Amino acid sequence: MLQRTACVDAIHVKVVSFASTVQLGDSCIINSLSRALAIQREMEQFYGNEGNLSAYGVFTEPIPFQPITEPFTYSRQNLNPLIKVNKIDIIGISSSSLLHVGNSRHVSMEARVKHIRQLLPIPRKQAETENKDKS
Amino acid sequence: MNFQVYNRELCVQNIKITGVASSSLVMVGDTETIQLASTFDTPAESLIIGPFVPLQRE
Repeated sequence: MLQRTACVDAIHVKVVSFASTVQLGDSCIINSLSRALAIQREMEQFYGNEGNLSAYGVFTEPIPFQPITEPFTYSRQNLNPLIKVNKIDIIGISSSSLLHVGNSRHVSMEARVKHIRQLLPIPRKQAETENKDKS
Repeated sequence: MNFQVYNRELCVQNIKITGVASSSLVMVGDTETIQLASTFDTPAESLIIGPFVPLQRE
């Protein structure tokens, strides 16, 4: 069967970071995995040696996929063998993401993020006045 | 089930995207299978109010 060809006139990307890819041309198998600890602190204090991913279940728990049980047949006819795009404008591609121009066979991508917020303790007097204001 | 696809003309002028992140995909082309998975964990316990305690070391 004839493949379709993707034709893009211009691509503008400002940032491609953290194991991201810009793939121009065909590919066969794509696997990508991103694991991130997103720590948000009210005051800038980072120790430089933190972050053990195995301490959090979100990085190891299996992601269940429903098995495809329905019998499925399909036929495809590419009457016009060209996918035409004038301009692609992207500011940022990040964390194992992908911009792909061309055909592929199997794409499998996974992202796991643990988000933690650490706030400073509110001084007791201030907290009391805030509670009074509320009541 | 029988599924028939006729790909006729596909012509796009501009694609404008702010961000593609966390194992996401922008594709201009055809593919057979796509499998995307994402977990994002921010439970109540993850909001820590108090003195900063370092996380477990690497």
